[in-house]
Amino acid sequence: MLIRARRHHSLVIGSVMLAMVILMALLSPLIAPYDPALQDLENRFSPPFWSEGGSTEHILGTDNLGRDILSRIMWGSQTSLIIGLLTVVMSGVIGSALGIAAGYFGGRLDMIVTFLVTVRLSLPVVLVALVVVAVLGNSLSLMIAAIGLLLWDRFAIVSRSVTRQLATREYIIAARCFGSSSARVLIRELLPNLYGPLLVVASLEMANAVLLEASLSFLGLGVQPPQVSWGLMVAEAKSQLLFRPWVLAIPSVALIWLVLSINLVGDALRDITTPEGRA
Amino acid sequence: MLTYFLRRLLLTAAVLFATSIIAFLLVHLTADPASTMAGEGASASDLEVIRETYGFNRPLYVQYTAWLLDLLQGDFGRSYYLRRDVSEILAERIPVTVTLGVSALCFSIVVSLTLGVCAALRPNSIIDRFALWLAVAGQALPSFLVAIGLMYVFGVYMRLLPISGVSDWTGYILPVVALGYYSTPSLMRLTRAGMLEALQSDHVRTARAYGLSPWRVTIRHALRHAILPVVSVAAVELGFMLGGSIIVESVFSLKGLGYLAWESIQRADIQVIQSILLLVAASYAVLTLCADLLNAALDPRVRH
Amino acid sequence: MTDETQLLRVEDLCVDLPTVSGLLSPVRSVSLSVARNETLAIVGESGSGKSLTATAILGLLPRSARVRSRAIELDGTDLTRLGARALRRLRGDRIAMIFQDPMTALDPCYRVGDQMVEILRQHRRISRKDAMERARGMLAQVGIPAPETRLRQFPHQLSGGLRQRVVIAMALLCEPDLIIADEPTTALDVTIQAQILSLLKSLQERTGFGLILITHDFGVVAGMADRIAVMYGGEVVETGPCDELLEAPLHPYTEGLLQALPSLRVGDGPLGLIPGVVPRQVGPRLACGFVDRCPYAETECSEHPVQMREQGFARATRCILPSDRPRDDRTVWHRQMGEDK
Repeated sequence: MLIRARRHHSLVIGSVMLAMVILMALLSPLIAPYDPALQDLENRFSPPFWSEGGSTEHILGTDNLGRDILSRIMWGSQTSLIIGLLTVVMSGVIGSALGIAAGYFGGRLDMIVTFLVTVRLSLPVVLVALVVVAVLGNSLSLMIAAIGLLLWDRFAIVSRSVTRQLATREYIIAARCFGSSSARVLIRELLPNLYGPLLVVASLEMANAVLLEASLSFLGLGVQPPQVSWGLMVAEAKSQLLFRPWVLAIPSVALIWLVLSINLVGDALRDITTPEGRA
Repeated sequence: MLTYFLRRLLLTAAVLFATSIIAFLLVHLTADPASTMAGEGASASDLEVIRETYGFNRPLYVQYTAWLLDLLQGDFGRSYYLRRDVSEILAERIPVTVTLGVSALCFSIVVSLTLGVCAALRPNSIIDRFALWLAVAGQALPSFLVAIGLMYVFGVYMRLLPISGVSDWTGYILPVVALGYYSTPSLMRLTRAGMLEALQSDHVRTARAYGLSPWRVTIRHALRHAILPVVSVAAVELGFMLGGSIIVESVFSLKGLGYLAWESIQRADIQVIQSILLLVAASYAVLTLCADLLNAALDPRVRH
Repeated sequence: MTDETQLLRVEDLCVDLPTVSGLLSPVRSVSLSVARNETLAIVGESGSGKSLTATAILGLLPRSARVRSRAIELDGTDLTRLGARALRRLRGDRIAMIFQDPMTALDPCYRVGDQMVEILRQHRRISRKDAMERARGMLAQVGIPAPETRLRQFPHQLSGGLRQRVVIAMALLCEPDLIIADEPTTALDVTIQAQILSLLKSLQERTGFGLILITHDFGVVAGMADRIAVMYGGEVVETGPCDELLEAPLHPYTEGLLQALPSLRVGDGPLGLIPGVVPRQVGPRLACGFVDRCPYAETECSEHPVQMREQGFARATRCILPSDRPRDDRTVWHRQMGEDK
């Protein structure tokens, strides 16, 4: 019962946290009080409304260019979520396709895919992403493509191992003996077993993607103004740590919130999909 | 054992070859490398000189082969920006990154093993819950936040440790923690899971049944088995650290490879970027090889 | 049977395991004893609690298990009063346990010799060299050819039968007074089983240790045991000298078990079997544990739990029916099955 309680715990908390971010992202055009790029140079660095000097005009205060932080957080959630989801879909499709093919057909195909995975693993992700973005420019779609092409390895590894395990089970061999085509076997028997593990990987990689984008933006080579990214907000606030901590703290909390929620959901999913809830 | 080693070596070489191609292509993705390097405001004749010197006019595969051959002789090319041999620059920066990476890994291993073993010995106890909570929290923190946070708390607020540069070994403390903490959750979880399983195994039961001291049972018979996957993952994590040190190095202004990579990317110093990419990839490949060999050494079953 | 000859005396051993579905009681009030140079066989099907009893005697149960007993005495020393360290010193030295599966009992990462030396040096002050020599000698005693080579090998390099011999050698290293063998031959080929059993027997004759042999196989029991204790549903339901018990069982469960054994005589009729399942482990017993499956059950049997009662010299049973009740042949068990259908 302890295990089940933990599962529900993480799942509920994580999902609620994640849902809040998603809602914020979806509704930001409607509910954000200001244009996130609107500068108000007379109102720079006004603190959040709960500290002295703050007002309810800018609930979370303003940054170094007088831009409203709350609005920037809201719009920034869009960036993180879009990148997170799209890259995961892309890398998920690539990785799973490669992995399933390798696990099912084995032989040469398996060797090639394993080799590709090893090569991909030896490339430093942050560096490669930086180089690509630096060389080809940093539009959002380019970043998504770059990150999506880098995070498929775990999908491939997991789908390959699950497929391999299943492909040797007797009932699969029996089905093939009875004339079911490979495609049929794949869809009916293999795919249902893959959902669980792949969902877990997806949550992991989504967190990775969000962090990667934040890191890239932090280094100045990710999302560029006037687009908003939480990583970019942290970068701009870095020097203000001592005197105006909120400018740094608020986007940091937002990032941690999002990644934590994804991790909680992912952990809960992992507990649910493994037969014994071993942590 | 020898055939295993040779096979792995061959695979490593193949992987390195493939990564060199990728490293080369990535950097030459631009339409005109010369103008990227020279930046704005370069005249057409300047660009032509650059093209001649670096051979950008030749077909790609010729450029690649030339680069590869040079590489194998130890010539990493010349940095356009710094006007020095790349190998020199790399040699200066490598020690910092390696020290940082290895120390971060050691830090991570020590913390993970300790927490993992303690948590496994007393499942569902306070220490177990603490360890798991720490793991969850640790994985949600982006490294740049940890770096900045550490810098603020220990460097600026408490004035305990230096916040930039490495004049002495204390300058490494904060960066090591900032770089190492990220692999701690996964290593700790791996240790804990492995220990939990090992402690239930039949041979541990035998060891206990024969009255071996708890220390022996835990370390020699349980941890020895649990540590196998941890070793492989740890070696791989070191590779990630070497590649991911860029953030920590730039926050703490450490003159290592990561910082160099970042600077070179901003300056479009192609030769340097290429070399660093390949170097990091090569170290990762070598580390994975070492991990596999270590695995084979620790588990006799793999060898036979 | 005076107390001085008792090597091991267990009285009223109970094991409770708290679980998510309630408090399990896999061992309820087990009492038994073994003397030196004597073999006691504990027979029962899986789930009867026999292995747990052995583990409880050694003090090897997980922290969450609750072990209660009136006494667990080894040569008069109460094991339940010993601290963890003292108990640990006993294990491997005065009591040794042989486990079921030799494949997994040995640590695959260390050589055979190293594992044996480790045990010796844990319990005795002895140099590595001498310990290795003792190990070599012990391997020879259990009939392993070329023991020097084996010492340097890893467990996975040995065959199943050899591995079990190594395990037996390990058990004998410190010359224990008592050996508990939990299904020592179940995981082995039939041909090897006989070898291992006769090895154990000859070693016992030579050294004089007490042996508790846990098994579900009556075939193993016949040639080996001096006395038998039959366990069912966490309780001992019958005890007695081997030949007597096999010839004329008192408890219906024992009878049923023996009926279920295939006999080599042609035309003996179909095999009997005991229909039903083992009783639930949760909650106190309200009746005889066997009443649901017993073909002789009477109304009184379901009214209250049954205690062990002595029946003559050195025999006891947990059945209230008279020992001279009419004994049918196997057909009584078939009739039972027919009625259930």
